[in-house]
Amino acid sequence: MKADLVMANDMFASPVHTRSFIETVRKDYFSTPVQALLTLICASVIVYVIWALVRWAFIDSIWSGTPEDCHAAAGACWAVVKDRYRLIMFGLYPYDEQWRSAIACLAVLATVILSCIPYFWSAKRLPVVWVVGYAVFYYLMKGGIFGLSVVLETQWGGLALTTFVFASTVIIGMPLAIVLALLRRSKLPVISALTALFIDGIRSLPLLSILFTAAIVLPYAMPDFLVGDKLYRVIMGAAVFFAVYQAEVIRSGIQSLPAGQEEASIALGLNYWQTVSRIILPQAFRFALPPTINQVVIAFMETSLIVILGFFEITASGNAAFSAGGWNSFYVEVYTFVALIYFVFTYSLSMYGSYLERSLRLMAR
Amino acid sequence: MKNLLKVAIGFAALAVTLPQAAFAAPGDTLKAVQARGALNCTSSDGNFEGFAELDSKGNWHGLDIDYCRAVATAIFGSDSKLKLIPVSWAQRFPSLQSGELDLVVKASGWLMSRDTELGFQFSTPYFVGVTQFMAHKELGAKSVTDLAGGSVCLSGGTSVEKLVSDYVAQNKYDLKLVTFEKNAEAVAAYFANRCDAYTEWGPIVAATRASSADPDNHVILSDNLSLEPEGIVVRQGDDSWVDVINWVIASQRIAEENGITSKNVDEMKSSPPNATVGKLLGVTPGIGTRLGLKDDWAYNVIKAHGNAEEMYDRSFGEGSRYKLPRGMNAPWQKGGIFYPPVLD
Repeated sequence: MKADLVMANDMFASPVHTRSFIETVRKDYFSTPVQALLTLICASVIVYVIWALVRWAFIDSIWSGTPEDCHAAAGACWAVVKDRYRLIMFGLYPYDEQWRSAIACLAVLATVILSCIPYFWSAKRLPVVWVVGYAVFYYLMKGGIFGLSVVLETQWGGLALTTFVFASTVIIGMPLAIVLALLRRSKLPVISALTALFIDGIRSLPLLSILFTAAIVLPYAMPDFLVGDKLYRVIMGAAVFFAVYQAEVIRSGIQSLPAGQEEASIALGLNYWQTVSRIILPQAFRFALPPTINQVVIAFMETSLIVILGFFEITASGNAAFSAGGWNSFYVEVYTFVALIYFVFTYSLSMYGSYLERSLRLMAR
Repeated sequence: MKNLLKVAIGFAALAVTLPQAAFAAPGDTLKAVQARGALNCTSSDGNFEGFAELDSKGNWHGLDIDYCRAVATAIFGSDSKLKLIPVSWAQRFPSLQSGELDLVVKASGWLMSRDTELGFQFSTPYFVGVTQFMAHKELGAKSVTDLAGGSVCLSGGTSVEKLVSDYVAQNKYDLKLVTFEKNAEAVAAYFANRCDAYTEWGPIVAATRASSADPDNHVILSDNLSLEPEGIVVRQGDDSWVDVINWVIASQRIAEENGITSKNVDEMKSSPPNATVGKLLGVTPGIGTRLGLKDDWAYNVIKAHGNAEEMYDRSFGEGSRYKLPRGMNAPWQKGGIFYPPVLD
């Protein structure tokens, strides 16, 4: 009996045995002749692919020069990125004013980064960050004050436009999503039914058609003073689209809370707003965090759809960079460059998501 | 449920009736442009080589852009008040209809449906595009006849395929058509020497040649198939606006006929060699007031953008990367099909 217990204890004890690197390689990859063979084959394929990539990207590549130089070379033509990077990064923004676009882009990034820091998550701090960030962005991009020349929205482009559309979509869409989620859970049947109709209606439409409607059809149906620039209508369209999906994500978070949470807070005498803002939403967001990060990453990727409305966000300006001036054959290099930019953004977003998940789990304990 | 249906029907009715009310009123585009102090014209959502393309600094070039500039110059004296609005192909007509644009210069073919059902008006054509062939230079071919026994790469399932196969059948040419699903594949096959020739719309053929590794080793053959006239598009019902645009196009053709270029226009203005030149350049008054413009509008256009030949040359001809022979785009005296109306 006692011996059994000891054995059981041993079974549950964590293994402290650590293997050396060579031991790991030998046991996991070369334990049988067949496995060894497979390992060798796979390893040589991997080495070959990496070597070919390195040779293409770094050894045989051309770093500056003309399209003729590139046609003569075997490797990548990074010269196209060097020659056209201003076009890729800034789109149609006037060449001599592009420093403004660069700073404005940093302002949006700073706004996004600050919004991600828990210190700023309060009803007092967050609006200040947003208003300041957006004012800096808008006045730098548009000009018209402090002697800056006016640059119309149709000339905005590149990374600044991509980040601006993305940040605005999320910053407008997120509060809207919370409102929609709460309305849908309203105890008044008319309100919850109408909200459900709205959410499901928008969700049954493709984003492309919503953007097209916002940009082109809405001006027909709206009084002139409300129309505004196409860019802001498109952002509103994208924000509404983001909000209906995010509303469902938040609602799923709310519904995964035990009913006792809400009941307990009402029993404690908290009113509706206190219950929602102190008890329900913080917990719901914790549950809904992975799908929320997912939505945000998707929103970032979908900014490229605005190209059909004639905006030169970073994908479109990438297209414009290689499709003229003799660079037509070198789209792989331009797309690689643009893909790297997208990767940096989406990867940081997912990294931030998993950091947030970890820290919220700690807070929950 | 019934009520819901009623609301839905109400919204649908609203959506159908509202657009009519919001159309820009025709008849006063020129006045609206002058009052606004800006001309809204099309640029593109990407490059369309030769017509609208971006340089490394993000500036627009090309034939379509130059016509936007010419119209702006005619109205304001310079193109600094031109607003180039990037629109996609699908978006150009809705944007024109909604009043966001004053004119569309975007390689738009003069089609009956656009002219009638869609409610647009076309200017006189400023460019004609024809389907053309390009062949490897070492074959020494001058026209499709010389390709006997050879093959042509092209993208299948397009109007070009039908056109070319009809052309080959009608003329009983001994030519094999090799079709590909995508144009890029047809181009790649041609450059990999799988075919003796490649065919597409002329400007595209020229752009394809210019972007190849060895543009000098390919020649464009003399055959011209299926002409499509490209016009400037405006909203129907504004005749005087169409007049302005037509006469901007005409002024550059009249200038070419009379040997006026951007370089000698000042000379010509100070001593006009004939009455037409005097009228065109505003020495004899009249050319402006008839259109609601200043008398020196044509002078400004020619001074800034040149005559019709210079316009073509800059975007497609020897002054460009494309080196597309002018062919049908020349005036009738030079073997083309263009002619200006008479300036009296």
